Amino acid sequence: MKNIVFLFLFIFTTASFAGGDFITEFLNTCVEAKMPVNNVNIGRPMLEKMASNTNDEEVKKTFQNLNSIRIITTENKKDARHYFKKANELIADKFSDYEEVVSVNDKNTKINVLMKNKDNKNQDIIFIGLDDEGKLTIINIAGKIDFHAISKLSDSLNKEMDAEEDPSKEDKPTVSKQQE
Amino acid sequence: MMKEYEYIRFLLNKYWNCETSVEEEKQLQNFFSGKDIPEDLQKYAPLFKDYKESQLSIRLGNDFVKRLEAAIHQKEKEKQYITIRIFAPVLKIAASILIMVTLGIGIYFLANENKKPYFAETYNDPKAAIKDATYALEKLSEALQKGEEASKETFNELKNLNIDWTALDSMDVETESEAMIEPNEKENL
Repeated sequence: MKNIVFLFLFIFTTASFAGGDFITEFLNTCVEAKMPVNNVNIGRPMLEKMASNTNDEEVKKTFQNLNSIRIITTENKKDARHYFKKANELIADKFSDYEEVVSVNDKNTKINVLMKNKDNKNQDIIFIGLDDEGKLTIINIAGKIDFHAISKLSDSLNKEMDAEEDPSKEDKPTVSKQQE
Repeated sequence: MMKEYEYIRFLLNKYWNCETSVEEEKQLQNFFSGKDIPEDLQKYAPLFKDYKESQLSIRLGNDFVKRLEAAIHQKEKEKQYITIRIFAPVLKIAASILIMVTLGIGIYFLANENKKPYFAETYNDPKAAIKDATYALEKLSEALQKGEEASKETFNELKNLNIDWTALDSMDVETESEAMIEPNEKENL
């Protein structure tokens, strides 16, 4: 009887402290104060607003099906390399149940895309990319993700961007520095 | 009369020395049940009087009701204790189930809570947020396209190698059938 109670307490405690997506875990365990990163969080309420603001049906559907988009970036080349390594270590350590979807290992570009099916409807995607300019991008997308639709999204999104913003803006994202 | 008192005092002395006979004790009881008791001997009267009364009649004490009630409650308590003892295993199982159910519900709600994203929204304006959302989806889209292209390239390379896949398949079948035959042959040997 006592053993059962302790077992349940252990599960309960573990469940209490576990949980948390990749970005939360990365911010909590890997990011150092002396090497700051940019963090952007877009939750479901904002995604719904974004979906209602767009006219493109494909983009609208994609936004409606997502639960969250979280991004971490750093443009400091040294920090980017350090965090790229740390992110992959974190994957191996705590997110080993994620399946590798895409892995690009060029001379200048390194990309790892991993995915986990949370249930029949929801997936969790982790994107870790180090581009040819030495910039690190970590993206965590949660929700109902249609890979086929996303792989064809580029054109629609660019049109959307052109419609939303003035064309003079550069491609880089304006990320606000925000920790949880 | 004085002689009688002297005799009683004599008997009392004998009584304290535990030397009196049954007959002498009866004499003491009779004397103290009477009315003419000198003042100095009155203090011994209850001792012999009560004893005689208790011998003559059996009557209910003043605290009889209290004692009876106490005895009844004691029996009830014993009954309750027996009931608890009988149901103790059932109560233990029920308590275990209750704990498990409570913890189960707790874990269920906690797990559901964990499904919800736990972070602060960066933007209040959807127009500002769409830029980062676009950036994220574009990055993912590019990666998926790269993966798709790489798969196609690998497929084309394999196609250009002109490998006879049917022959390879049949090799597999042959290897499997050989593996099946070998143990049988060993058995025959």
